[in-house]
Amino acid sequence: MRFSSPGVLETQRTKLQDRAGKVKREILICAGTGCLAGGSADVAQAFRTETRAAGMKVGVRMVIKETGCHGFCEQGPLVILMPEKIFYQQVKPSHVKKIVESTLKNGEVLQKLLYKNPVTGERVETYDLIDFYAKQHRLVLRNIGRIDPEQLDDYLAVGGYRALPKALAMKPEQVIDAVKKSGLRGRGGGGFPTGRKWATCRKVDDQPRYVICNADEGDPGAFMDRSICEGDPHAVLEGMIIGAHAVGANKGYIYVREEYPLARKRLGIAIEQAGEGGLLGQDILGSGFDFTIEINRGGGAFVCGESSALMRSVAGEVGEPRAKYVHSVVKGLYDKPTVLNNVETFACVPYIIDQGAKAFAAVGTRGSSGTKAFSLVGKVKNTGLVEVPMGVSLRDIIFGVGGGIINDRPFKAVQTGGPSGGCLPQSALDLKVDFDTLTEAGSMMGSGGMIVLDDRTCMVDVARYFVNFLVEESCGKCVPCREGLKQLLIILQRICEGKGRLEDLDRIGNLSSVLAQGSLCALGKSAANPVNSTLAYFKNEYEAHITDHTCPGGVCKELITYSINDACTGCTACVKVCAFDAISGKKKARHEIHDDKCTRCGACITVCPDEAIEVH
Amino acid sequence: MVDKELAVQLKRLYVTPGKCIGCRTCELACTFVHTEGGGRLRRTRVQVHDTGGETFVPVLCLQCETAACVRACPVEALVRNELTGAIDVDEERCVRCMACVVACPFGNMLFDEQAGVVVKCDVCVGRPACAMFCPTKALEYR
Amino acid sequence: MGLISFSINGTAVSGAEGETVLKVAGRAGIRIPTLCHHEAVEASGACRLCMVEISHPDWKGWKGLVTACLYPIEPGLEVSTDAEAVLECRRNVLDLLLARCPTSPVIRDLAAAYGLRETTLTVDADPDNCMLCGLCTRICAQMGHHAISTVGRGVKKKVGLPLDKPSESCVGCAVCARICPTDAITFREDGRQRKIWGRTFEMMCCEECGTSYITRAQAEYVCEREGMTIDYFEKCDKCRSRDTARTFSRMVQW
Repeated sequence: MRFSSPGVLETQRTKLQDRAGKVKREILICAGTGCLAGGSADVAQAFRTETRAAGMKVGVRMVIKETGCHGFCEQGPLVILMPEKIFYQQVKPSHVKKIVESTLKNGEVLQKLLYKNPVTGERVETYDLIDFYAKQHRLVLRNIGRIDPEQLDDYLAVGGYRALPKALAMKPEQVIDAVKKSGLRGRGGGGFPTGRKWATCRKVDDQPRYVICNADEGDPGAFMDRSICEGDPHAVLEGMIIGAHAVGANKGYIYVREEYPLARKRLGIAIEQAGEGGLLGQDILGSGFDFTIEINRGGGAFVCGESSALMRSVAGEVGEPRAKYVHSVVKGLYDKPTVLNNVETFACVPYIIDQGAKAFAAVGTRGSSGTKAFSLVGKVKNTGLVEVPMGVSLRDIIFGVGGGIINDRPFKAVQTGGPSGGCLPQSALDLKVDFDTLTEAGSMMGSGGMIVLDDRTCMVDVARYFVNFLVEESCGKCVPCREGLKQLLIILQRICEGKGRLEDLDRIGNLSSVLAQGSLCALGKSAANPVNSTLAYFKNEYEAHITDHTCPGGVCKELITYSINDACTGCTACVKVCAFDAISGKKKARHEIHDDKCTRCGACITVCPDEAIEVH
Repeated sequence: MVDKELAVQLKRLYVTPGKCIGCRTCELACTFVHTEGGGRLRRTRVQVHDTGGETFVPVLCLQCETAACVRACPVEALVRNELTGAIDVDEERCVRCMACVVACPFGNMLFDEQAGVVVKCDVCVGRPACAMFCPTKALEYR
Repeated sequence: MGLISFSINGTAVSGAEGETVLKVAGRAGIRIPTLCHHEAVEASGACRLCMVEISHPDWKGWKGLVTACLYPIEPGLEVSTDAEAVLECRRNVLDLLLARCPTSPVIRDLAAAYGLRETTLTVDADPDNCMLCGLCTRICAQMGHHAISTVGRGVKKKVGLPLDKPSESCVGCAVCARICPTDAITFREDGRQRKIWGRTFEMMCCEECGTSYITRAQAEYVCEREGMTIDYFEKCDKCRSRDTARTFSRMVQW
């Protein structure tokens, strides 16, 4: 139905909320990329079939429940039974009949399907008792997992599009003022004050103006924006429409990276629904304001997440950045004033307008207000999407929400901010996570990627990994980035192979300098951060590689050897798995690894039941 | 520096071939006035031809109103100088495509191989040396 | 007219709105090294050699490096072309270029001026002289041909033809070869033919003396663009000059 005015919208919302209030039982099934791959669509179908067969009136909804604790995505499909909030994992279609019988009919909880707390070993019944969820403050992620992202009605029922009529009734300058007062800073990594960006664009005397949402999210391991686009696409649209009203733009684009087909699909459905509802298009909600949104598909290039490269890509040109001495709010897409913001930034805007700037600013710190979504991954027990207030410490995120290191191994470092960020050691664990604190320490918060590393990590290898990534993703236009990263990789490779020299550290210094000072865009300018931060905090590892020819993390293949110790029971599992015939041994006798044939692939370590293989 | 007084009334370089005695002083003057002190000799932009029967004709750029050289140039390196009325070569813009050299119907776009640039008559920025040194007033700037 | 006043190395200079630091510096006789810059094409800021340090009384002591070829002048700007940070950056850029184009005389000379005889880094396994300044591709587009462009991303980037096949839109003008600062593009010419970018072009030979400067394809392109006839290009400048003299002498006699 078309909402020709805010009044019509509110009437419909009230109706939907009433209806939702009457629903006694709901089954929420995660339909994120991970769980879908695990077969959650079949599980949902099974629920529909079984509940109908049992004569029950149940709302079976597919919603996004974002990744939870350690292995949650690996433990999908996830199912939540409301109103009890019972949380089942690894649900197969074959389990469904039993769930309907036992839990839905008789109120019996099936222990085997419950989440097991890794610290206490106990099974946890409801999801709000799971530390991972309990310790978060989900604001921008609040709807993900509660609503069906392909149903506009669901979004309306939880208060969606309540901010939009409020914003349209305000003058654009008032909207900008509210965003300024909220302290919202760009969530894509730059952290630029959003209100100021919108204000500057509005002042430029040129038309037309554009609003672009950056959904390129190229940092390896980051999936905050993907989850928001997949799980709450209307929030992004609402934020964009409000932004367009504020800056005076009538055309918007969402640039979604090539690798996110589900996000593109859900955004596309949302745009269509919003259009039909009169929330997008001409005369939005009868206000006289026109705004349309088009989805642009990326071509698989990390550099196209850089705003000027992104705009060139949207215009159909090669995605190479340009020098931004004239900012894109002045000359952006097609050389016209353009506001470009990240997905998460736009998703915050409806909350700010609806609940007020003060409510947003009440959370977080003075310099960094609100919350931030992080993708917490790596050697941490509870991996997944975490939203906490700005100013929470690294320790609270990694050990509180994250539950600590897998197998309780020693914590070594946390890598934040993707390829533009750096690694922080144990001594930094109590640092507050916000836009400025981590930067002072040599890393950066970036867009929210957080990779936890344990003692079995080689920090030189980590630096090499990121430099290798950037070498492939550099656009190649400027000399420092194209040639500098190539040379940096050669040096790091050399060090990892044990062929490094002490002068290499000086060379790394020069390369870092020219990258930071001379690069054309932020990709190059921040490219040396992973190397610099690991050098700053883990110089001993570099020196160990160079002078001692050892790898303290036990990773660099040329510098480690494997050997079998006394714990070996002679089960021959490793002998069988070794593809290089490097292990010999008879049954029940201690086996031996032959160094000359061993490639350090690690297969033997994985299969050994006695943990008898040591890395030196 | 362009003499602004000269520019007020736009003067032109006039050629009266009947008066030319073929002494080629104009060529010398043109070369030297365009050569930087101590540098390699630059090419003359005025060329005197012996047309037989003791007639000599100095040929130099006519600064055409709809110049073929300007049309042929792909990068707008040939621009009218408002003060002198001459078409000047912007040596930094010129990409040496040579289209103008061939296009000029009078052969007055010249490639200076030593300097590696295209050259033409620029009326010496308002004080044409050829006219100043011509002994017979075959070349006059008026 | 609104002249913008600022300073370079302490010297007061001025320029018009929209002009770059490089342009004004050039006019004031202050030399800033460049490689990827040419007046005929839009500045790209790819080589990073023209870096200068900028600061401003209002910037609370903040200094930064920018490319002079692109930075728009502003009132009160303080530019330094020889600050320590600038020289270090240029030296490092030349070090990187030396590793890529170890035998290019232009780059060797520039590097030597900054104290580098050889690169401190690893030389490319199979080096050529192309430093990917993009001048050739930019001028080719500017002239309307779009026959070559940069292909690929990052370290795989190279100047090439569409799908590595000879281009129909190339006219053999060889401007790409002439504009290249390191002579990385080669072509062969014997007076009648020019071979470049995988194609053979017929030269436009003077009907009288046979001298040639441009290809027939280039002449035809200009004619089509400007609505000129091909006879403009059928004789060389020397023959035309002589013809002009004959015409004038006939006028005198008549």
